[in-house]
Amino acid sequence: MIGPDDVGGVHIKYLYHCRRQLWLYLRGIRPEHLSATVQLGEAVHDTSYTRNTPVDLGAAKLDFIDGQHWVHEVKSSTRTTPADQAQGRHYCHRLYLVGIDAQGTVLHYPKTRRTQRHPYTPEAADQALADIADVLAVATASTSPDRLTRTACRGCSFTDYCWTE
Amino acid sequence: MPAAARTYWLTSPCRIRRKDESLIIERDNADNVHIPVTDVRDIVACAETDLNTAVVSLLNRHRINVHLLSYYGDYAGSLLTSDTSTSGETVLAQARAAQDPQAGLAIARSIVDACAFNVRRVVDRKLLTRPYAVLQASVKTSTNQAQLMGAEGTFRRSAWEVMDTKLPDWLQLAGRSRRPPKNVGNAFISYVNGITYARVLTAVRLTPLHSGIAFLHGTMERQRHSLVLDLSEMFKPLMAERLLLRMSRRNQLKEHHFDRDTNQAMLSDAGRKLVVQTVRDEFAVTVAHRSLNRNVAYDELLYLEALALTRHCLEGTTYKPFRIWW
Ligand code: SF4
Repeated sequence: MIGPDDVGGVHIKYLYHCRRQLWLYLRGIRPEHLSATVQLGEAVHDTSYTRNTPVDLGAAKLDFIDGQHWVHEVKSSTRTTPADQAQGRHYCHRLYLVGIDAQGTVLHYPKTRRTQRHPYTPEAADQALADIADVLAVATASTSPDRLTRTACRGCSFTDYCWTE
Repeated sequence: MPAAARTYWLTSPCRIRRKDESLIIERDNADNVHIPVTDVRDIVACAETDLNTAVVSLLNRHRINVHLLSYYGDYAGSLLTSDTSTSGETVLAQARAAQDPQAGLAIARSIVDACAFNVRRVVDRKLLTRPYAVLQASVKTSTNQAQLMGAEGTFRRSAWEVMDTKLPDWLQLAGRSRRPPKNVGNAFISYVNGITYARVLTAVRLTPLHSGIAFLHGTMERQRHSLVLDLSEMFKPLMAERLLLRMSRRNQLKEHHFDRDTNQAMLSDAGRKLVVQTVRDEFAVTVAHRSLNRNVAYDELLYLEALALTRHCLEGTTYKPFRIWW
C-alpha cells in the first residue's frame, strides 16, 4: 500500500487524532475537500506569513525553515495538540533524511498570537520513526478501526462519513 | 458540503469565459456576471451554453463539473474534471460487492424497495398500499436485476395511474414516455429527473466510488454512470413526482410553461426557468438528520447517500437506502 517514504504530515496528524481517520484517508475517503473547517484552515495559510514559500519534501509539506534550521508550522487551531507536535517531529525527521539538521519545530497559532518550540531531541527522533511504523501498521490493517465516541468526533471532518446511518 | 462553494444554475443561453481566476457569464440582453472560481462547486447548464478551452482548464483545476441539460430537457451529459476522488482500494471493494451475487442483489433489492417506498410516500400512501405489498413480495423472490426492474416497473405504472387521478387533464401522464416525452407531465418528470441525475453524479464524484459500477442497473450500461442511475432512484420521487403534484395543486404550472405539438412536449423558456428555480430551492430545503444531529439540505442527502454506500463497500456496514422519513 504505502511505504515509509510516502508517509506525510497528514498521515501523522490523523494517526494521532484518530486511527480510523487514517485508515479511511488511505482508502480515499477525503471529506476534507468538502469541509468548511478545512477551507478555513486553508484561508489562514493564504493570509498569514505570506513572505515565506512552503518547502516541499515529497510526501511532507512544511511551511518554512528559518536560517537556524527551525521548522515553522502555522496552525489554524487555538491550542496545541499532540498531533501538531508529532507532525513537526515528522518534518524534522524528513529534513534529517535529506541532510538538514533540523533544530526542532516552532508551532505558530495566529489566532492566539502564541508560538511553541519543540526541539528535535534523540528521543523525538526515535518517536518520529515509531510514528511512521504505526502509520504503516494502520495502513495494512484489513478492517477499519472502530469509531471514537460521538463526543470525541465533534469537529472531525469525517463525521458525515462515520456517523450517517 | 462546502459552505462557500455553490451550484450555479444557468437558465438562459450564455457563454462562459475566463478572466484570470474568475468565470464571466455573458448573456444576450443582460449584464455579464463575474464569479470567482472558488465560489463554484458545480454548474448546471439548463440552456444553450458555450465555453472554451481556457474555461475548461480552469474548471478542471478546481474540480468543477458542468452538467448539460439538452434543449429537450433530457440530461445531455457532463463535462467532468479529469481529477476524481476514486481510490483503488475502495473501487475494488465496490466491484467485489457488485460482483458478489448475494451482496449485490441485496443492495439492488433494497434500492427498489426504498424507491417504491418513496413513491408511495409522495403519491398516495393508501391507494398504493396493495401495489407496494405486491412489489415487496416480488422483490423477495427476484433473483436478478431484470426481475427487480420488472417489479419496479409494475409498481411505477400503478403509481402513475394514481398520480393521474390527482392531476388536471392537461398535466396527466398517461403512462411514462421519454425521448421525447409525449406530453407535458412527462416533459416535467424527465426534466426534473435529469437534474436529479446530475446532482447525484456530482455527489458520487466527491466520494471514492466509481460511478460506473452499479448494483441495480447494469454496470457500465450504455456508457452511462450506472451507479448514478442506482442512487438516483430513491431521490427521483422526492423531487419529480412530489414537485409535479405540488405545483399542480398550487396552480403554479400553466400552459405557457410548455411547448407542445401532437406527439411531444417540452418545457418552454419560461417553464424551464420556473422549474429550475423550484427544483433549486427544493434542493436547499433542510431537514433534521437523525443520526448526524443537524439539519441537512436535500442536496446534501445525495452526498450522504453516496457516503453510506461507500461505507457499505469498504467496511461492510449495512446499507439502508434513503427513505423519506419526514
Ligand atoms: S468522525 Fe470520529 S471516528 Fe470518524 S474519523 Fe473522525 S474522529 Fe475518527
